[in-house]
Amino acid sequence: MSKKRITAVVVAICLLAFGFFAVEAQAIDLGDILKVGGIAFLVSQYDDQLDSFITSALGERDAAAKGATKVVPILSLGGGGYVGAAQVVGNPENVARVKAVIQVEGRFGSGRAQLLVPTTTDKATGSPDRAKGVGISAVIEFRI
Amino acid sequence: MQRRLRVPIIVALALFSVLAIAAAFSSAEVSFRSAERDGSRVAEVLIGDRIVIVLRTTAAGYTPLERAEIIANRLRASMPEDVNAEDVQVASIESGQGLYVSDQLIVAIYEPEADAHKATPRALAELWRDNVLAALGYEAASPTGAEPAAPAAAEGEEAEEGAEAEPATEAMPSESPEATTESKEFDWTGTAQKWVPIFSVERAGLRLGMAQVAGPPVQVDQVKGVYQLRLDFKSIGRVYAYVPVSTISTKIDRVQGVSVWALADIEVLGF
Repeated sequence: MSKKRITAVVVAICLLAFGFFAVEAQAIDLGDILKVGGIAFLVSQYDDQLDSFITSALGERDAAAKGATKVVPILSLGGGGYVGAAQVVGNPENVARVKAVIQVEGRFGSGRAQLLVPTTTDKATGSPDRAKGVGISAVIEFRI
Repeated sequence: MQRRLRVPIIVALALFSVLAIAAAFSSAEVSFRSAERDGSRVAEVLIGDRIVIVLRTTAAGYTPLERAEIIANRLRASMPEDVNAEDVQVASIESGQGLYVSDQLIVAIYEPEADAHKATPRALAELWRDNVLAALGYEAASPTGAEPAAPAAAEGEEAEEGAEAEPATEAMPSESPEATTESKEFDWTGTAQKWVPIFSVERAGLRLGMAQVAGPPVQVDQVKGVYQLRLDFKSIGRVYAYVPVSTISTKIDRVQGVSVWALADIEVLGF
């Protein structure tokens, strides 16, 4: 095989590979965008319903929290996207200030750790500013 | 005729009194709770709506709330039996005083707890005895022994500390409306944290979960684990509710004022 032919084959393979990965990357991005947008929509639509659903479900089991509650979106730190929702609980004045929960996730072997930080901002950038006197009561995963 | 009537009336009155006392005793429900007094967390033991014992100090490694639970259990254990006023007694024990019901030690009172109430162990034991008697429908026993009474309550002190100088029924803190109703709002702003196991068998496979709970130290001390409850919300979402609990049992005994800060799990077995 001549050198020209080898070069052409290599270039063709590279182009194909580049095209394949470009399409794949675009598909992932589109899916993520749809998912993030869907979660944002669901949280805004169902936040109050979810809050009362969780509170009444726990109340039926005599396990409701005696404090203010609210459902807010969970934002992934770094990614910045909406990955779910959480019911936060605490003192009424502190809960009222919470806009989101920042999720910091880490993996170790077959284990994983998830730090959930209620914050007064709805941006997942920099170090999360924890809202004092507020914790997590429930985590909501959406089926999208 | 009057003589004929007198005997049945006396007998009827005596029977009525006995039944009334028995009814009061049997309907008395023992409970305990955490409360805030003078800016610090305390634990209260109640018979019905009446606070009979207030615990302020940790003893033998038990927090005030853990002690309150033990005391409540002991009181409950003594409740099914008929208890006369004489059965509720204060007696000296080594280095302190004991409050007994039907010869069962309900609570031991030592110097640190008495100091926290600005009282002597004897005076505090007698106060609690009178509170128990009052809650059971008996008149408070008069102070006994040569022990000096506790100093009068300082200005602004809760009535519970100075109550032995007055009839317990008048001085009981449970008379106030705030005390009779459970606190609607808990302090969620504590700084204590600890990791506890998550109880759940609902996820695919077997995972060992841990949760970091945070809240006021007294409440966090009580948390033995976090109960994970899985709920389906319509067809769009799955809810994992996390309930800090004080006992590992099928009954969810939530510890108020404590919430989850972090979650971790390790997959032990996938299937």
